[in-house]
Amino acid sequence: MAAQRSKAISSLANRPLWTCLAVLIVLTPILWRGPMPWLPTAAAGGAIRIGEVDPLTGKLANHGQEIHEGILYAVNEVNAQGGLAGLKVELISRDDQSQPEVAINQTEDLLYREKVLGLVGGYVDSLVGPVSELAAKHRTPYVASASLQSRLTQGRDNAYFFRVAHLKGIVEPLCRFVVEVLQPRRVSILYANTPGSTELGAEVRACLEKANIEVPIFEKFRSGLPDFSTFLLKLRQARVDTLISGGFFADHLVLVRQLKEQNVPLRAYLGPWGIAYPEFIETMGAASEGLLGMCAWNPDITLPGTEVESRNFVERFAAAFGKTPNTTNMHGYVSAKALLLAIAAVLKSGHELTGENIAKELRTVNLVTPMEHLAFDENGDPQHYRQTVVQIQKGRLVAIYPPDRASAGFMAPSGP
Amino acid sequence: MIFLQLLINALSLGSFYALVAFGFALIFGVTHAFNLAHGELILLGGYLAYFLVKYWQLPFIWTLPVCMLGLTMAAVLLQKLLQQVQPPYELNTLVVTFGLALVLQNVMLILFSANYRLIPSVELPFELTKFALNITEAQVMDIVVSLVATISLHLLLRKTFLGKALRATIQNREAAKLVGIHVRRMSLIAFLLGGALIGLAGPLYARTAYLQPAGGTEPTLIAIVITIFAGVGRTRGILLGGWVLGVAESLSVYLLGSGWRELVSAVLLILLLILQPQGLLPQRARWLG
Repeated sequence: MAAQRSKAISSLANRPLWTCLAVLIVLTPILWRGPMPWLPTAAAGGAIRIGEVDPLTGKLANHGQEIHEGILYAVNEVNAQGGLAGLKVELISRDDQSQPEVAINQTEDLLYREKVLGLVGGYVDSLVGPVSELAAKHRTPYVASASLQSRLTQGRDNAYFFRVAHLKGIVEPLCRFVVEVLQPRRVSILYANTPGSTELGAEVRACLEKANIEVPIFEKFRSGLPDFSTFLLKLRQARVDTLISGGFFADHLVLVRQLKEQNVPLRAYLGPWGIAYPEFIETMGAASEGLLGMCAWNPDITLPGTEVESRNFVERFAAAFGKTPNTTNMHGYVSAKALLLAIAAVLKSGHELTGENIAKELRTVNLVTPMEHLAFDENGDPQHYRQTVVQIQKGRLVAIYPPDRASAGFMAPSGP
Repeated sequence: MIFLQLLINALSLGSFYALVAFGFALIFGVTHAFNLAHGELILLGGYLAYFLVKYWQLPFIWTLPVCMLGLTMAAVLLQKLLQQVQPPYELNTLVVTFGLALVLQNVMLILFSANYRLIPSVELPFELTKFALNITEAQVMDIVVSLVATISLHLLLRKTFLGKALRATIQNREAAKLVGIHVRRMSLIAFLLGGALIGLAGPLYARTAYLQPAGGTEPTLIAIVITIFAGVGRTRGILLGGWVLGVAESLSVYLLGSGWRELVSAVLLILLLILQPQGLLPQRARWLG
């Protein structure tokens, strides 16, 4: 009898239905996206847990790692000062591999399993956008380090999304510089197939045409192209004197090299992203001389009144990471600092440490950093973010616009 | 003259594509190994050339034989690895080399960091003022090296006993075995030659594009597309395929704008697969016989 019962149970256990049920029971806590009280909370174990999603590998790893270093520096700085209200800050970093679908998976892991209190990081809008959606759904504040696209903040009613940069802070000084200083006759705009670059291209074109500057070439390209020779041929034919390229670091490397190789006569080459880096100058050597870029901060270009803080940041960062920080490091640092400041404010107020309360405190953040005076508007955009136009002069980045930040004037190329 | 300049640009771009594809096409044609780590091997060659130029001040041209030798050795290791793969061979090599590509990406990330690197150029173009033409040193090198590689490979396969044995192996492995051809050795030779061609492409890739550990996907895709254009198992078709793609892309950029180049290439590839599935060259020109 007992043998028969055992056989029956064994037969039942072999059925696919039972197997499926068993798997479902095991997976339920993982699939369940609601609150899981039995899992450790974000402040459990005497630590404040914040999450970071950045492209640490893949095509954007270069800048992703720079943002990560800035965030890590901010966290270490707070912990070195005793943490937040005596609680240590724990940074949980995740790699999105420069792919939006991986960014979504990693964010879900941080929100639902790790139960972080807030999110920070992100590079380019195609990666930041999905993370911001998930964070809002989970009512977790997210301070993006490098995001520009207007659509992410305008008319979205996302009370949990904040960012330390925006497109207006690039387009406005860029346009004013081109119109007031360069005064070109014919401009070509080349923009990458990313949301931020596409928007930048359209806004700069509108601004230049408003100032009666001709834009005979306005083209999109796929970031990562190995060849621009035909585009440069068109540039030569159209007798363009200024090229504004919305590509990234690697695109400038290839484009500038081919520009020099083909001896294209340009009065100015301006790349809002990717040029204003010491690594760019090092890689391109003499070919980088005279190129124009933009940055929000640099060891030599800091918000007036923050010189000492900037110098301290450079020295301590260099001691920690063995290299001089750049503008992307600073974006990571400022975004993490804003989130940590808001968490500290909630702890100080004695309120419960929830996403709602942290987001509420983020709206009142008033933080002066070497990069910007950070205060968010009702959409989560920074109110005072403004980049500086820089030129590579004698192998160094020199601020040339706006006049209140400039340390030198624009130098036109001496030859073609 | 604009047309001539456009043609030079297109041919140099096409030659660059062909150089990227040679190693992949040869290994795939002879051994049927679908090497998804092809791009990563090209990057390894590129990094080797970069460090030789930057730290050893080796003239660029001398990086070519060094990288050919280095990548030949790497290809032998790859062949040893793929020898262990069980049937179905094509599918399993695809999976194994995909894993290998990920491993190589991470190894390069650790060794070389995520920084972008390139071999800089300081040479000014050859200016043919009479014709208003500009030809850069890189363009000349891409065209010349791809022509030399195509001719050498063609002569090897058509005019030598080794070439005959390789072609016989491609045609029918069992029949080749029956007539006394050492098929395993042919596979090793294909990897040796493929490795040398990858080693040739690496420095030129670093000289034309840029190096970044995650950048291997681009050359792998170029190689696959050109191999399809050429028709599997054809050498002259590879250069022709590269040129056709280069002309199509250059014309689309010139006439329609930079944003159209991928779309035009994709349409061309689809049309080719529908209308001429055996590749660009007519059947009699195949080196398979």
